[in-house]
Order: sequence, then C-alpha cells, then structure tokens
Amino acid sequence: MNLKKSVLLGALLAAAAFASAQQKVINVLLWDDPYPKALVAMLPEFEKATNIKVNIEMLQPPQVLTKTAVAVTATSTDYDVVGIDEGNVPVFASLLQPFAQWPAGKVYPKTDPKSVTPKMLSIGTWNSVQLGIPINGNLYVWMTRKDLIENPTYKTQFKAKYGYDLGIPKTFKELLEMGTFFHENGIAAGFGPFNGGPAGVLSEAVFMWESHGTKFIDYTGGTFKVVLDEAKAIEGMEFYKKLMAISPKGAETMAHVERQAAFAADPKGVFSMFIWPAQIAAYEDPNKSLVAGKIAYSAPPAGPRGQAAVTGAWAICIPKASKNQDAAAEFVYWWSSKAVADKLVQANTIPARTESLTNPAFVSSKPWLPALAASMNVAASRPRFKEIGQVQDVVKKYWIMGITGQMPTKDAVQAIVRETNDILKKAGY
Amino acid sequence: MRLATRKKIITAAVAVFALAVLAVELYPIAITLLNGFRRDIVILSGQKLSLKQFTGASYALVFQNGQLMRAMRNSVIVGLLSTALSVGVGAMAAYGLTRFKFRGKNALAYSFLVFRMLPQMSLVVSLYLMFRTVGIRDTIFGITLAHSSFNVPYVIWMLIPFFTVVDKSYEEAAMVDGCSRWGMFRLIFLPLAAPGLVVAAVFAFINSWNEFLYALILTGVNARTAPVAISSLIGGDTLTWGQMCAASTIMLIPVFVFTLGMQKFLIRGVAAGGVKG
Amino acid sequence: MTFSRRRATSPSGNAASGNGTGSYGSPVPFLIPAFLIVFAVLIFPIVFSFVVSLFDWPLSAGGGTRRFVGAGNYVELVRDKEFWNSLRLQLGFIFIAIPIEIALGLGAALLLNREFRGGRVVRALILLPVFFLPIVSGMTWRFMLQPRYGALNNFLLSLGAPEITWLGHPTYAYAAVIVQDVWRMWPFVFMLLYAGLVGIPADILEAAEIDGATSTKRLTKIILPLLYPTILTALLLRIIDALRIFSEVYVMTEGGPGMATTLFSLYTHRQAFGYMKVGMSSAMAIFLLVISILFAVTLVRKNMSLEKLEEQGENR
Repeated sequence: MNLKKSVLLGALLAAAAFASAQQKVINVLLWDDPYPKALVAMLPEFEKATNIKVNIEMLQPPQVLTKTAVAVTATSTDYDVVGIDEGNVPVFASLLQPFAQWPAGKVYPKTDPKSVTPKMLSIGTWNSVQLGIPINGNLYVWMTRKDLIENPTYKTQFKAKYGYDLGIPKTFKELLEMGTFFHENGIAAGFGPFNGGPAGVLSEAVFMWESHGTKFIDYTGGTFKVVLDEAKAIEGMEFYKKLMAISPKGAETMAHVERQAAFAADPKGVFSMFIWPAQIAAYEDPNKSLVAGKIAYSAPPAGPRGQAAVTGAWAICIPKASKNQDAAAEFVYWWSSKAVADKLVQANTIPARTESLTNPAFVSSKPWLPALAASMNVAASRPRFKEIGQVQDVVKKYWIMGITGQMPTKDAVQAIVRETNDILKKAGY
Repeated sequence: MRLATRKKIITAAVAVFALAVLAVELYPIAITLLNGFRRDIVILSGQKLSLKQFTGASYALVFQNGQLMRAMRNSVIVGLLSTALSVGVGAMAAYGLTRFKFRGKNALAYSFLVFRMLPQMSLVVSLYLMFRTVGIRDTIFGITLAHSSFNVPYVIWMLIPFFTVVDKSYEEAAMVDGCSRWGMFRLIFLPLAAPGLVVAAVFAFINSWNEFLYALILTGVNARTAPVAISSLIGGDTLTWGQMCAASTIMLIPVFVFTLGMQKFLIRGVAAGGVKG
Repeated sequence: MTFSRRRATSPSGNAASGNGTGSYGSPVPFLIPAFLIVFAVLIFPIVFSFVVSLFDWPLSAGGGTRRFVGAGNYVELVRDKEFWNSLRLQLGFIFIAIPIEIALGLGAALLLNREFRGGRVVRALILLPVFFLPIVSGMTWRFMLQPRYGALNNFLLSLGAPEITWLGHPTYAYAAVIVQDVWRMWPFVFMLLYAGLVGIPADILEAAEIDGATSTKRLTKIILPLLYPTILTALLLRIIDALRIFSEVYVMTEGGPGMATTLFSLYTHRQAFGYMKVGMSSAMAIFLLVISILFAVTLVRKNMSLEKLEEQGENR
C-alpha cells in the first residue's frame, strides 16, 4: 500500500519534471537573511526575461556550509549557484569555476568586477584567482542611538562631567565614557557585545586587536603564522571587559537575536554597538524595532592604534560541476546588475555594487550608506584558511572566559596563541 | 458510602494533580501559542499580555510562505508514510522475534537495537552519497525510507513487551483450526496487541515529525520537511519570533488531532484485554 | 497467588508451557521486510563510517586530500580531553535526566490510569511537549531563561533566585539543558507506561481487589512486576534517544558556555560539520557503536533477553 503510494508519487514527480523540461531550471543555495529574501521577491522578473526557473533554498549560515560541503564535489553538485561565506572561500576554491571562465550572458551582460567595491571584491578571490562575485557590502558599521545623544538634558549633564560634547563616539575612550554615562544613570545599557557563534566572536576579537594595533594570524613567507602581539592583545581584551561591565544583563550569551532584542526592543535599549548591515532592515522595521528612524550610523570608533571594520560578506559562485553554467551565470549577472542593486538598496539591504552604495539619490533616505563607505576605508578581514573552524572555537572559548573574568586576560591570550599554534602545526603550516 | 467518599477524594486529588501537571507542561507551549498572535516588538520588549496586542499578521505571513506550507505538507506525508511503513514492518518483525523459536534470535534483536543507537550525523554523509547514487535524494520516498530506517528498530523494541503479554491461547486455537501463520498474525494477534501498536504509531510519527538532520542533508527544495523550514525562521541573524511561534503552533495541531484520535484505539485495547478474562 | 490460579482456568491452559505455536510456520517472512529496511539502508553507512574513521577525511572535497591514517584518529581521540569531557557530560545527562523522566512518567501513568471526563484530552495535552519541535523547544527555553524579558527567569526571580545569566554559567546551563529534556520527554515515558497499564487485563486487578489486597500491595506485588518489561523498554528507548540528542541543545547553548554543554553528540557534530573532520567524527561514532554493543550484550541481555520477557509474559 505504502510502496504503491510512493511509486505513484515518484511517477507523478517524474511526469512533472518531464513537463518542465523545456524550461531551464537552476538550483541556488543561499544564506537566510533579509538580503536574499529581498531578491526572492524580484525573481519573477528574471524568470520572465530569461525563461529560467530558479529554485532558491535558504538556510542558516552554518547549514549552508554543511550542505555545500556535502553536496558540491569536483564532479557533481546539487546546486548551480552557491553563496560562500568569505571565511570558507579557501575550502571550496578548488571546486569553483573561476569567474574569468564564466560564459557571457545572453540577456544580461557579464558583470564587470570593477563595479564591485574593491574591499569586497577581494573576499571573492583566493590565491589571486577571482572565483565569484561578492554580492553584499557586509562589514562592521556602528549604530548609536540618535535620540540619546541629541537629548539636551543628557548633553549638558555629560558635558559637565566629562568636559566634551556627547555625540557619536569617535574613539574607544569616548565609547566607554559615554556608555558608562548612560549605564550609570540607568538611561540605557552602554554597549551591546556579541558573544554568540564562534565566527562572530572571532570578529569581535579581531576588531579589538586590529584597533589596538595587532593582527591575529598572517600569511607570510608562504605559510600561516600567529602574529598576535601579547601586550596589545591583552589590552584589547581588557578594554572589551570594560565594555562588558556597561552591557545589558545576559551579555555573556548575547548572539544576534539577543542583541536585537536589547537594542531594538528593550524600552531602555543600548547606547551604541556594531551591526552587520545585512541586519539593518530589521532594526529599521517598526514592527520589530522601537528605535526605527532613531539610529545614527557611522564607521566604528577608533581604538588607541587605529580604526577597523571587520568584513563578513558572501561571494556568489558557480561550482565547476554545474551542468547549467550558462543559466547560473545569467542569474548572477542579473543579481549583480545596477537595476537590481538599486532596488535592493531601496529594500534597506546592502549590495556590494559601488555605484548603488554611493548613489547620492539614496543617501538621504538610507543614512547608513555613507557610514558604510567610511567603514570600507578601514576594512579588516578575519584570517582565512581551511582550519579556521577549529581556530575560531579556541578563540571563542578563551575570549569569553577572559572578558567575563573567569580567567585572567593574560592567560586567555596565551591560551589562544598556544592552541592556535597547535592547530596550525598539526595542519602542516 | 465511605468507600464512595474516598473515591471522590481520590478523583478530586487526581484532577488537581492533572491540572497542575498540565499547567507546568503547557506553559512554554502557551507562550508560543500567544506569541504567534503578537508582534515581534511586543514579545521582545517584555510587555504584559493584553488583548489589544493581538494580530494575525504572523499567521498571514506563515500562510503566504509557500516554501513553509509545502514543507509542512511534506512533513505530514512523510510522517504518515514512514509511520505506516515502520509500524507495519516493525510489528511483523516483533511478532517474528517473540512468537517463533529460532537460533540467533537475541542477536538479531540486539543488532536492530544497536543500529538505532548510532548518531545520525555519522550516518548522514554516507546516506547522502548512497541516495544520490540511487537517485532518491530530495524525494519523499527517500526521506521516508531514511526515517523508517531508524523508526523500525524503535518500533520493534517498543512492541516487544506488548507482544509478549498477549495470550498465546487464541493463536493456538487458530492453529488447530488450520489458520495460516499470516492469518493468525493479522486477524487474531494484531487486534489483541492494539495498545502497543497505538503507542508505537504515535512515537514513530513523533520521531519522523521532529527529525532535523536527515531532512537537512537528504532533502532540498522538493522534499524539505517542516523542521528545516522552521529553523530558518529561528534565524541566526534576524528574528522572526512571531512567525516561528505561529508556525510551531500550526505544527502542533495535526499531531494533537493524531494523538487524540489514536487514543480511541487505546481504549479498545482495554476492552480486548477485558474480553480475555 | 490468586491471579495465577485464575489464569490456570483461562483458555490457554497448559498449552502455553509446551512448544505451542513456536515452531509453526517460518519466522523468515516476518523478519525480511524489517531486515531489508534497516540493514539495507544502514549497513553501507556503517561500513562506510568505519572505513572513513581510518582516514583523514575532510567533509568537503575541496578541503584537502583524503589520507589513510590507520588508527590515527582513534589515538587522537583518546588524547583529546574534550572528547572525554563530552563523554562525561553525555553520561551525566543520561544518568540525571532519565531517572527523573521515568519517575515522573510512572507516577503520572499510575495516577491517570482511570477513566475520567476529558481524560483523553488531558493525555493528548500532556503529550504535546513531545511533539514540540526540538529546535523550537530549545529556542523557547533559551528565551524563557533570558535576563530582563525571559518569563521563566522572571518567575525564578520572584521566588527569590539571584539574578543570573542562566545559560552563561556552566553548571546552570547544563542543568537547564537537563530540565528542558525532562520537560519535553517525560510525557513520552508517561504515554508508554500508560499504554502498558491499559494492557494489563482488568480481571487481574479485580481479582486482587476481591482478595482484599491493599493498594500498596497491589502496586508493588502485581502492577509493577507486570509493568516491568514496559518500564525497561521506556528506559532503553530513552537512553537511545538521549545518546542522539542534538538540535535542542545546539539551539539552546551551542554547546557552551565554553564546552559546558558540549555532549558527545554535539562534539561528534562539531568534528564533522564545524571542523570538517569526518574521519574524527566517524571514529567517535564507531567508539559509540562499540560501547552500544557492550551495553546491549551485558545490561540489556541480562535484564531484557527475549526469553526472559516471554517468561514474564507467560506469568500473567
């Protein structure tokens, strides 16, 4: 009985597949956030223009990695287009069709790599081969509560105590002092840390370290080496520890959803913190946010030895094993075209295309765009190599122990260096 | 008279107990149910519940989400198919194991058990390779088969204690009447073992309904089931709390109806047992 | 005992003590379909897992070459303190959560083993948490325990609990994971044992009542022994499930803080899908397989051999 049913079902599916054989079908694997969601809404336009049917599967980032790893090999693939998180480009590089060999488009012209913001273009490149088109301009942007810094009472109180004007924090010192002011007076939490997934914690660590003047891992002399300066790294961790003291309750486990709840849904809220621009749409949505329209955007404040904005973008790639490379390329060309990029900007998302990001027509209604441009000037990337999964686990473990006081920051930094070195050594670098 | 009052007191105590248990057990589910009707911002700002907050917006979004609705339909189909398959096949095997005498019986029973103990993540990669080669990746048939592979051992072991207590005399009588073994199993044995079959069906369905990892790896856009689709509402990055609650509530309705309906057979199990004496 | 005397008059009579139907017909047709579904589907993955466990095998084909390392993965495992830690956490989880679940389930099954108005609805409602998707359950608990807006946290505060980030503290996070599982899974035990009770023929209980057995005596001397195989089954199935627990914990804590809730199953997952070392994760699976076999042939065989179960079945 059940077998019969399954056979029947199988036959139906086969018939359906045959009926649509005329039309080209491509399968696309993407991460789940407002940016690809905004794209899905525009799909009918593409399908009409090209007669290519696009099946988009959206999953959370760790699941995208898992599925890509399982489903894409040198000789076979379930997907014709895959989104690859910048940190994973090295893992998949050998399985992806270099961009130079992508076929020309029939309906949409091949994307000019120069149209992509230079800092973002580099994330789609590995061993100087460009593998895909970086599609979103995702890197640290700073959010500050406009209503708080413009409040006249707070302004006078703050000036009286600290001797300078309240505003968007330009340095770490200002961030700490302003944050402490709001925190101590019970007005709002001073800062919103990220202590969720390992990839995000590594971003925070790299942000602190770069701002304090030290890189974590560098590719030098043909190999990867830990180049972390212990004193500067401790300084960075100590500073974050101070920020933790002015953060909301529950800061030890705050991931994106908890940060969003604290900043955008809590009646008191948070004074200032970083955001991935991909999430701005949610913070500016009055259905999800009490602070829509009340956020000032800027580049991250500068640390004692410089400014840094960590990148976290996705490259859109075509597996070598895809049998529909024409259609797949057509889809990516459409997605990265000016017309679509402009529409995506209007949907509060951030494409990587320079002319859309800098279009003066959008700047007034999308105040984060100039901030994004400023962040681009100080962009910094997390280290990229195949064993990054293990390294970020090590960093997360000791970083959180350090900033929550479960372990002296010195010991934590030393443990990170020691265990990262072990991993690199074992991997043969 | 005294006995009657005692009984009344006991019944009252049981009722109070049942209500207390329900309150604790259903509290998180009640929150989910209510939050499905509230806006994300209301949920997360920790506002006190009030009637003014209620809106069907999240439900509207869930019903408009074609991928999610399709996934829910798939979940129901896969759940029913794999339940029917694994209870049917599992009942036969449990019957074979409890009603026959043959060598290697225990070894066979244990190997079913051990297979069920293996963590899915270590099997799923090779299952994926196998399914792709055979061409059943991302099909309802494939995911049904995968779910049945871990449900069958479960059902077998769940049924064994129920099967061993069924009186053998009816089958013996049937044997004397010349009834075939298959006929004995189907017409005489199964009705007597109904309570066991009911719980086995309920739990086989649950296992399939809740299963995440196989569904994630072995399905794509076509045969994706609800847990995978709902996981994207939970979101690593952005929050769609109201929609997640709405979708979870919708997911509870068919299973609630299923368990409610299945209990009818559980009662019949009592009657069958009563007949015996 | 009275009920065994009564039993002697039941139609089975002495026939059951003989060979009975045991050699009538062949068991093979009954076993073939299950054998096909389970073994045919799983034998390749298991053999494959074993082979892979001898390799340095990156999950992605782009992740490097596959290299034979012999017992290398196993040696590395034995030396890995996180591996032993995850095993300890997993066993602790099983030894704490499951006895509580069995106790609660048994208690509720005994109490609710009577017909009352709305009984069916009550039982179906009690069972709802089992149907609550594990990922949603994990997420709901994560939010209920949040400081500021978490409902459960606020309730605990009103009882005088200190202000704690529950999931940020190793011990409390581990406890929370256990509480979540107990909440979700004791109704499973309840339902199984309830069905077991329903299966106990009314005449046996009536007989005991006529005999004037006190309710305690009835419970310990009649009901529990009859329910014993079902209780063992519940225990066994819960252990099996607890070995595979994954998504709810992953969503709730991601194995943290630190490694405080990285159970064996989460560590297996992390090796395969976080570090992309399928060889290591397969070695862990094979390790678990060996333990499972040992567990099955010692504990289970001693208490749950089919002959023993049949004997208990005969005794009614």
